[in-house]
Amino acid sequence: MTSQPNTAEATAATAAAAAAAPLLDVRGLRTYFHVMDGTVKAVDGVDFSIPRGGTVGLVGESGCGKSVTAHSIMRLIDIPPGEIVAGEVLFDGRDLLKLPMDKMRQVRGDEIAMIFQEPMTSLNPVFTIGDQISEAILLHSKATKKEAWNLAIESLKDVGVSAPERRVKQYPHELSGGMRQRAMIAMALSCHPKLLIADEPTTALDVTIQAQILELIKEIQARTGTALLLITHDLAVVAETVQTIAVMYGGRIVETGTVDEVLLNPQHPYTQGLLNSIPGVAKRGQALSVIKGVVPNPFRMPPGCKFQPRCPYAWDRCRECEPDLFEVSSGARSRCFLQAPEGVDRREAYQKSAQDTVRGVVG
Amino acid sequence: MDPLFQEPVSPGAESDFEVALVSLNQWQLAWRRFRRHKLALFGGGLFLTMVAIAVFGPFLLPYNPIYVPTPLHYCPGSTTQLAFNGCPPLTAGHLLGTTGSLQLDLLTLVVNGGRISLLIGVGASIFAAILGTIVGGLAGYFGGWIDTIAMRCVDVLLSLPILIVITVFAKAFGLGDWRIIMVVFAALSWPGLARLVRSLFLTLRTEVFVDAARAVGVSDRRIIFRHILPNAVSPIIVSTTLSIAAIIVTEAFVDYLGYGVDPEKTPTWGNILTNAQSSIIVGNWWWALFPGMAIVLTVLGINFMGDGLRDALDPRSRA
Repeated sequence: MTSQPNTAEATAATAAAAAAAPLLDVRGLRTYFHVMDGTVKAVDGVDFSIPRGGTVGLVGESGCGKSVTAHSIMRLIDIPPGEIVAGEVLFDGRDLLKLPMDKMRQVRGDEIAMIFQEPMTSLNPVFTIGDQISEAILLHSKATKKEAWNLAIESLKDVGVSAPERRVKQYPHELSGGMRQRAMIAMALSCHPKLLIADEPTTALDVTIQAQILELIKEIQARTGTALLLITHDLAVVAETVQTIAVMYGGRIVETGTVDEVLLNPQHPYTQGLLNSIPGVAKRGQALSVIKGVVPNPFRMPPGCKFQPRCPYAWDRCRECEPDLFEVSSGARSRCFLQAPEGVDRREAYQKSAQDTVRGVVG
Repeated sequence: MDPLFQEPVSPGAESDFEVALVSLNQWQLAWRRFRRHKLALFGGGLFLTMVAIAVFGPFLLPYNPIYVPTPLHYCPGSTTQLAFNGCPPLTAGHLLGTTGSLQLDLLTLVVNGGRISLLIGVGASIFAAILGTIVGGLAGYFGGWIDTIAMRCVDVLLSLPILIVITVFAKAFGLGDWRIIMVVFAALSWPGLARLVRSLFLTLRTEVFVDAARAVGVSDRRIIFRHILPNAVSPIIVSTTLSIAAIIVTEAFVDYLGYGVDPEKTPTWGNILTNAQSSIIVGNWWWALFPGMAIVLTVLGINFMGDGLRDALDPRSRA
């Protein structure tokens, strides 16, 4: 909102425009790491947006750049060796990448909060749970120490921690993994952020605890209306939790759309490959299928489409240049020449195989 | 009842055994482990005793440490022992005997000398700890050119031959003032600690909890001093404790050589020994023995204590 609105109509119009604009709009984000052997293009042109209160899942294998994307949004990349080479991260109308560091610190925790993968190591071992949660509150509000401490107890209660008045006085090593992750979530939500980034929040937990934590994140998301960016390699997790999904490969988004569009009607061979790797009831007795080949060497990305060496549908076109994100009939977008005009005669064979894959998973 | 356990808060509710355990902070845990280490307790007691003697002793003793108003001809209670060669221990009024030539009371001398020796050891170590922690912490946390400059300074300082530098300093600034000696020792002792702190910070800053703190908007300064430093404080304490012992020994040596604190103004354990050496041949063994023992006992106490602290402060054991 740059112009000075001088009538009630204008105010309403700007407010409506602001409400319609996405909460987070990442455009052309490129984060490189300059290391001894060369430059790793960990994130190489990522675009996506999250509407207010919306939920987006970022999915991909290890090393595809999904965590780096999240860290870049929060500007937690170590510089050097990292460098955010290009792009914009528009959050609530401001470009976070251009904010001075003290302003960025006000955004962190207060407007965007983050939950990390390892609850075992993401809490400081020498402070009590209460100290750590109330520190976040004290940083972003005018609360007194006493008030912050009570708010910490409140927020622990909100995330379903039993006996919160005693838990706040405990040290992280006295809590179980699930409890710690709950404490992390309490800390993240203590300042009522507009966006919650959850970087593989359930990966390090037991399966039963995973389900509880996911349930908790969903429940809180629905209750508080905070937007959610969920980063995971687990398709089952995103399928249950988010509305929109973005599949990453080699530092780029290769397919994006609603969960139903992408998972029930994959339009990129990589997404199909991911789905195909899920063990399903219908595939009982068969060998597990995997995506052939390995994740490309980050120092020597293949020419053209980055998935092309592993792609069963690749042809000459794929080695010539990298495809754009093509709009697909269903509304999703896919970075694959199969969806381009030149892939039209091969498309049918792919669609048939993709549908078989989906049927194999869904049963 | 075991003091670790308390009554459940709400007896009606399903008791939560995990919560019933009392939370101990890192210092309480460390004290619990330290207490079990008998040798360390003994060492700590020894060191604290020496400190107490040095602090309170001079008030209790009637003699002046550097001046005797009326020199004697013979030792009290003897007609053959010349007071000029020093009176032996247990002479009336002189528990540890007296020194040769000036006839100073040896107990007074050792107690007063302990003040300065301990003050230089402890003071220089604390200065060095503060300076080393700040420099090492900044270098390790920020890296880059800050790290390069700080570590090259450390390299240069560590390659200086300490004894030669101190004698040069002593010559340049004139003999004597123990405060200058303390500053010189502090200035030459921090680089080792800075290296240690830097390496601790290098590992700690990559911990997820540091990222988590940054992600809630904590400033760099607060992360360095409130989040990382408490996790690095144990090795710093151990290293500083042991450096007290090292500085006391080196400082005594410099004093003994005659380049340190001026013996005519301020006695120290080291400079008492300078004059004592020539008296051994005339049979005065106590003049050298007692200040020497004071050094040995203090250093031994500190080293035992440091060993116990190392075990007690190790965050990986919750014995």
